Amino acid sequence: MPIWDKIRLRLRSLFRRAQVERELEAELRFHFDQLIEENISSGMSPDEARQAAQRLIGGLEQYKEECRDLRRVNFIEDLLQDVRYAIRSRAKNPAFTAVVVITLALGIGANTAIFSILHGVLLRPLDYPKPDQLMFLTAESPATGGTRNSLSAPEYTEFRQLNHSFAAIGAYATGGAAYTTSAVNLTAGDRPMRVRSIAVDAQLLRALGIQPEAGRFFSDEETSRWIGTLPPPIAMLSDELWRSVFAGRPLVGQKVEIEGRPHEIVGIMPRGADVMDNQTQVWLPLWLHPNIASQRGTHVLNVIGRLKDGVTAQVAQAELSGLLDNWGARVDTKEHVPTNHPVGAIDHTLQMRTLQDALVGNVSRAIWLLQVAVGFVLLIVCANLANMVLARAVSRRREFVLRAALGASRGRLLRQAITENAMLCGAGGVLGLGLAVAVVWGLLRTYGTNIPRTSQIGIDLPVLLVALGLSTGIALLFGLISLGLGGTSSMATALKEGGRGASGLGRNYARRGLLITQVAFAVMLVIGAALMVRTVYNLATIDAGFDRSRLVTFSLTMPMANSDPDTRAQAYRRVIDQLRSVPGVLGTTAMSGLPPNRPPDAIATPIENFTAADGRHSEIIDYYQLVMGDYFETMGIPIVAGRSFESTDNASSGKVIIVSETLARKIWPDQNPIGKRLRPPGGSFGATDDVWHTVIGVAKDVRQRGVEQLPGTELYVDLDQHGVSPPSMNVVIRTTLPPTALSPTIERIVREVDSELPVVSLRDMDSVFAESIRRPRILAQLLGVFAGLALLLAAIGTYGVLSYIVTERRREIGIRLALGATRSHVLRQIMNQGLQVTALGVIIGLAGTLAMNRLLTSLLFGVQATDIVTIAFVIATITAVAVVASLLPAWRASRVNPNIVLREE
Amino acid sequence: MAKPTDLVQGTLDLLILKTIAREPKHGWAIAKRIQQISQEALQIQQGSLYPALHRLEQQAWIKAEWRPTGTGRMAKFYSLTRAGKKQLEKELASWVRLSTAINLVVQEN
Repeated sequence: MPIWDKIRLRLRSLFRRAQVERELEAELRFHFDQLIEENISSGMSPDEARQAAQRLIGGLEQYKEECRDLRRVNFIEDLLQDVRYAIRSRAKNPAFTAVVVITLALGIGANTAIFSILHGVLLRPLDYPKPDQLMFLTAESPATGGTRNSLSAPEYTEFRQLNHSFAAIGAYATGGAAYTTSAVNLTAGDRPMRVRSIAVDAQLLRALGIQPEAGRFFSDEETSRWIGTLPPPIAMLSDELWRSVFAGRPLVGQKVEIEGRPHEIVGIMPRGADVMDNQTQVWLPLWLHPNIASQRGTHVLNVIGRLKDGVTAQVAQAELSGLLDNWGARVDTKEHVPTNHPVGAIDHTLQMRTLQDALVGNVSRAIWLLQVAVGFVLLIVCANLANMVLARAVSRRREFVLRAALGASRGRLLRQAITENAMLCGAGGVLGLGLAVAVVWGLLRTYGTNIPRTSQIGIDLPVLLVALGLSTGIALLFGLISLGLGGTSSMATALKEGGRGASGLGRNYARRGLLITQVAFAVMLVIGAALMVRTVYNLATIDAGFDRSRLVTFSLTMPMANSDPDTRAQAYRRVIDQLRSVPGVLGTTAMSGLPPNRPPDAIATPIENFTAADGRHSEIIDYYQLVMGDYFETMGIPIVAGRSFESTDNASSGKVIIVSETLARKIWPDQNPIGKRLRPPGGSFGATDDVWHTVIGVAKDVRQRGVEQLPGTELYVDLDQHGVSPPSMNVVIRTTLPPTALSPTIERIVREVDSELPVVSLRDMDSVFAESIRRPRILAQLLGVFAGLALLLAAIGTYGVLSYIVTERRREIGIRLALGATRSHVLRQIMNQGLQVTALGVIIGLAGTLAMNRLLTSLLFGVQATDIVTIAFVIATITAVAVVASLLPAWRASRVNPNIVLREE
Repeated sequence: MAKPTDLVQGTLDLLILKTIAREPKHGWAIAKRIQQISQEALQIQQGSLYPALHRLEQQAWIKAEWRPTGTGRMAKFYSLTRAGKKQLEKELASWVRLSTAINLVVQEN
């Protein structure tokens, strides 16, 4: 095979280079000798013969080179030569090499890490077939700021019937009034455990387009007949749970105990199947309490639809908008229907966004911000390295010019320059990739729960390509820079200037320009980080409406099957009473939703002598807080009017209620709310009937749904008075003891009440708060790291450029000192140079910050993007860094000894 | 003296291939043989011969082998490969076509 022969020959030329060279030499030598012999035989003397042969042959070396070129492996040989040369010259200058490689590794590593998150979370399509067709529907109440709320059950059913754009529409619930929880107790063998759960209907699974790995899905029959008191006892397991807990043994058709009830496992979900990042382990059939299912005002269902093939999101949106125009007329009711024009507080509209948008929504801005930030860091790195490469190129100019004079072609020199830089960038890239892997791993480990779609994040092919692209791009750029400088000026000048290097004005402008760029980007990063730090500080110190010091909390879920609301209440009652008698415990209470991070309830509540804007006699209350024990005293929530619940209320037949300031202000403006009456639906807290409750007090507002959100309307139901309780409660203890000290006691008391109840999420309230502001904190920490890196690099850059200028001007400084300039004058002059550059950089950076305003503003809390104090602080910091970085070169300049410098010449 | 450029372009390859078609020869012998057969009209210079040989070798049309010459000295002998034989036929055919065509033109009265 000719091809194979060719390859063999090339390989031989490449790897047996010495032998091939010897053979070439021998072959030509043979020819030469034959020629001499011929000349002798034609009558010349040996000397004459040799000379004649030599004349005829000319330059032997040239032929050899021609033959070598024919081997067509020259470029590889040159490359190897370049690489060897590069390694030798780098090894001679390890400090330079280390700084370049490490800086590059930081820049490339940070970019690769953030890009892998950006790619996994934002760019990668969702893991469903045709993910673009999946839409998420939410209820929005612009007047009250309620956003991304669930839909009511009637709304959901009606929308399914009315619309024509969707091929399938399904719903799920993970908590709240849907009587489902986001976690259930599951017993595998004799091991009780708490697993993440979701309640879905059959249509949802169809809409998502996923197929079971084994067994079957729920049927329509099983998920849309909302009757009886409990959902049908069937379940599906996630692939991960099935493999880890049940060792992957055949399970379909068998019974597993969930929430104390044997459930038949009808199917196993495919690997990685999930809804909205719920990290679902157990899938349960969607079931609503019949009362809840008919309430238009109770928003409980999250709705996902799949568009029909060929129907665009715009078409579906237009149809939805049309439906919203006259929803009430279409379904023949006037009561709380979604509308296109939500004006009053009670009004809401329906909004549609893609599932991906709904899933990553508010995180995308933060991730983009981080990507921009690491992009800046990379630019600073590049500017810094460009300056170093410039300095090096100037000092190596003689070498390049000399080589050009000896016949090296420009292309050959460019190739060498690029090879050298490619090696540096390659090393930086590889190190950076390692760094990125470590950073991503660390981030996911530490903040996994705060980043959506974590399972999609990883160093995969696109990420690798980006890292490769970055490294190659930088290598090419710097190769061109170093050669551009080495080659442009005339050979003669370079050789004449000797080793002193050029002090061309243009080059110093370029150098300063790069430095200004670095400072400008550093300013933007530091301002961003400072603003985020202030945001976190503001969030951390905000008054959430209750006293969070010395509070310990945990949660309990009573299995629905083994208990009715009354026995549940008794069990909770016993837990609370026993905890109260523990030494060191100052107060104990239990509540349905733990502030400051609980889901809203949004329950339509009839109010006596009240007419809403739309003529109805009820209002949607954002939060129902169902409490037991000394709630307000334990939580430290002040009662601003009226009184708190008292134990005497339990005996009285008249039901009492406490409302929040916001609720009182909204429903009864300029009136005394005490004595007014509301009728909360009993189904929402486990009671059998709806009865009128009298307002006995007004409590200070509490931030329920994130500390950065304004408080909504809230009412407090005294469960002690009703003697009932929902399945899940959060217990809160005010104590002088830390959670760890209290933990054994809590475990013992809970075990005594019910030996099968797991104690979940035992922690102090400070960690609950820390958790609720974790995202801004991550952002602040990462931005802080990047800003610190930027500052460090800018400082190194300033130092480097000034040092270079000082070295370059040593002679001039020496002469000036000899002529009588004072040392402090020289010091000031060099410092001034550094500070001028910094000042320009700061101005450009501030302008850049203004331009970036929009990206930042929505992520801030309690501080403006143009906050004067922050900006002043940042300018002060940057200036301080610049002063420090300029000081050493300036001091060195002022110490120049004129005698020595002038004698050197 | 005939410089390589004096040869019709590409004919050196043909000459070399043809010369070693019957038996393997070393570079010197190839040059001599061409010179001899052409009655001293074609003198192949070393400067074009060896690059040509190496090029043909890289094309895998000819292969080289170190063998002793008649005097016992080692020399690099080139011989045709199978691909080389095919190439020779191709080049011969095109040479015949070309020379016939040129003859027709130059001999026209």
